[in-house]
Amino acid sequence: MSKIQDTFLKIGSIDRRWIFLIIAAVVIVPLIFPVGLPIRPTDTTKNVYDSIEKLPAGSKVLLSVEYSPSTRPENHPMTISILRHLFKNNHKVFITCLWPDGQFMAQDAINQVAKQEFNKTYGVDYVFLGFRPGNEAVVKGIVSNLRKLYTVDVYQKKIDEIPLMNGINNFKDFDFLFSSSAGFPGTIEWVQYASDPTGIPMASGVTSIQVNEVMPYVQAGQMVGVLAGMPGAAEYEALINQKGSATSGMDAQSVAHLVIVLFIILGNVSFFIERNRSKKY
Amino acid sequence: MKDKQFWLVTGIIAFIFLLYWIMGHPYLYEDRIVMLITMFLMGSTLMYNVRYAQMGGEFYLRPIPGLKAVEEAVGRSTEMGRPILYVPGIQDMDQVETVAGVIVLGHVAKMTARYETSLNVPVSRSIVMKAAREACRESYMIEGRPDMFNEDMVHYLTDDQFAYAAGVNGIMVREKPAACMYMGKFYAESLILAETGNSIGAIQIAGTASQAQIPFFVTACDYTLIGEEFFAASAYLSKKPELIGGVRGQDMIKAAVIVTIIFSIIIMTLYDNTGIGFDVSKLLTIR
Amino acid sequence: MIWKRQIPILIVTIVGWITLLGWFIDQPDIQEFVNDDATQWFDILASFAIILGALNLIKLQVQKILYQKPGWIYSVVAVMGFLFAITAGFFVKGVDDSVAQWGAHVTTDGTLFKWMFDYMFSPMSATMFSLLAFFVASASYRAFRIRNFEATLLLVSGIIIMVGRVPIGSVISSWFVMYLIVLSAGIYINVWKKDMNTTFVFVAVGISIVTIAGFMYGWPIDKPGIFYLPAIQEWIYYYPNVAGARSIMIGIGLGIFATSIRYILGIERSYIGE
Repeated sequence: MSKIQDTFLKIGSIDRRWIFLIIAAVVIVPLIFPVGLPIRPTDTTKNVYDSIEKLPAGSKVLLSVEYSPSTRPENHPMTISILRHLFKNNHKVFITCLWPDGQFMAQDAINQVAKQEFNKTYGVDYVFLGFRPGNEAVVKGIVSNLRKLYTVDVYQKKIDEIPLMNGINNFKDFDFLFSSSAGFPGTIEWVQYASDPTGIPMASGVTSIQVNEVMPYVQAGQMVGVLAGMPGAAEYEALINQKGSATSGMDAQSVAHLVIVLFIILGNVSFFIERNRSKKY
Repeated sequence: MKDKQFWLVTGIIAFIFLLYWIMGHPYLYEDRIVMLITMFLMGSTLMYNVRYAQMGGEFYLRPIPGLKAVEEAVGRSTEMGRPILYVPGIQDMDQVETVAGVIVLGHVAKMTARYETSLNVPVSRSIVMKAAREACRESYMIEGRPDMFNEDMVHYLTDDQFAYAAGVNGIMVREKPAACMYMGKFYAESLILAETGNSIGAIQIAGTASQAQIPFFVTACDYTLIGEEFFAASAYLSKKPELIGGVRGQDMIKAAVIVTIIFSIIIMTLYDNTGIGFDVSKLLTIR
Repeated sequence: MIWKRQIPILIVTIVGWITLLGWFIDQPDIQEFVNDDATQWFDILASFAIILGALNLIKLQVQKILYQKPGWIYSVVAVMGFLFAITAGFFVKGVDDSVAQWGAHVTTDGTLFKWMFDYMFSPMSATMFSLLAFFVASASYRAFRIRNFEATLLLVSGIIIMVGRVPIGSVISSWFVMYLIVLSAGIYINVWKKDMNTTFVFVAVGISIVTIAGFMYGWPIDKPGIFYLPAIQEWIYYYPNVAGARSIMIGIGLGIFATSIRYILGIERSYIGE
């Protein structure tokens, strides 16, 4: 019995590098040998899907991309899935970025979905407005006068020469907003300065860490729903019936979470054994 | 209640606004009047308590372990002959948390000047670098140790979030500071910084109002100032009456908010179920 | 002295009051200042201030190289990286004007800047972020200990969220969770009563009740919902979590208000070093 207890005590004081090694293994293995666990969409994800599904054909949707390569595994699948859903339903998409890195991410998404998958025409089906510095001032600028803020698009073409920009002067000319966000400026700024004051519905895809901050806005009805991290992205992929990198990442995340729970349990067993022994002595 | 000057000024402002309202309140968004009155009441509460403290009134502030630990951490660093690492967040001076972080840096700099401990402040924004330098310079001057101040103790690394985290981690692993303080606005890099600090055996004190990062700091750091405690830190460290009065004013406003929430719940429940009363959410919703 | 003290305080006070009250004033010029100009002035200042930061960075790194301080090799890498980024951004596009104009070249495939972003910046950025996965594991392992009631509550809700949020949580039957609860309660009873018979009876009765109920209802995976991990996880997210998040948000909002008012009223002057 004491040998078993000693083993648990050793596990309790294990070098953190063993933990890192085990986590690396449990993340890599399911990526190479996928398990294919079923994805069950949550209500918040379904609400986002339903809201976009209900939009009349040809609706003007503003897609704001504000994440960097660091959170690409969480946010990029959301952006891809949303673009797929929007183009499938023949909506008109206007893409803007509040982060400079977001411009690169948005360009990759456009190349993959708009150009390669759906063969959409630039200037007719979608417009890439690009990044402007200013954080929340950009949001306020889009709300008050978009054309003052964006005189040219990301390819340096004049906005006035783009057919899809006819009639687009400010935020109220859009029918829906989706923000794929990883921090500041992002979802909260869109809610506070754009969506809530004007009443234009919005949804957002955020990293798992941000869900706490954003959920009060969802509960209050200021946002129709939220895609919560990679699980949210995987759920959306399941809803649009097109699996992507988020779905394949969920196996790895599932196993990693289970292993972390196991570590926590083992750590507590060791903690109790140590506590009992110190009480005895 | 005895502050005649306060009541006089408040009365004059209220009277002027009343006149302005009666005259047709030009250029005013009418639907935002509730917010304007609320702001005026909150500001008055703060000012009343600030003046009360300035006139000698004493307030009890509950001890915050994290702030008591700041001096201990500086002392520990002095004994070990190792520097203190101070990270004022990764956002610019337009964020109130960053400004609060620079204020706390000023107090920490006073302690490092007093104990002759070296201070390393890597920053992520150029304007923060300038503000932090001024705060440190002033602190060292006040302590009578301008010779110990070196401009390069506050230095710029990079604007990029993870490049900054990598840079700070490198400083931690190479210089092995005895104390690491994280005071400001943080995002995902918070756990990277805190875990690296933990691995080098430094005492860690964090303070942030970034809601999502508080759990990470609580887990990995020895002491954490959560939300308002961080904003109250300048009052605790300086012990200036006007700042302590401000903290009390904040607490009074919070009590008023709690009472408003409770009353609103009762009124809304009555209104929704029986039709008695009014839709308080319309009154309190400001667009 | 007036330049270093009174004038900064005056600027902060005037701009602060205009920005604060600007939200209530229905006047186009003030609205334009508050909504557009004020923040854009700050961004212009911050953009020029980057030069200060860059110069400071280069100065420190070059000093390290010149005096061959410990780790000076890394400073060489830092300076080379800095120069490479400047070159790719301002001097060498890598493609003709017909492929990409200056400005658009940062996102156009084939340019040196895009190459640098895709093959240097992105992998390094992603690597730093991925460290979090390891650090979360080691931090959780170290920190989640059942020291008291609150820590136990934190631990249990953390495990529920971690498992319920991922697909594996939806394949764990609610009946399995019920069996786990019976066994955990049995452990607690054993620790409390220190009587094997009582523990055995309790666990046996608990398992029997769960098993009989399971056979009666046909073992549906997601019922009863109160024991289904994704359902519990969603409830924790929507109610206790949001309540806690809201209260912290309100507290933080008040803290920001109080701090800002102190600046606007000139009570707090530490930004000028007082």
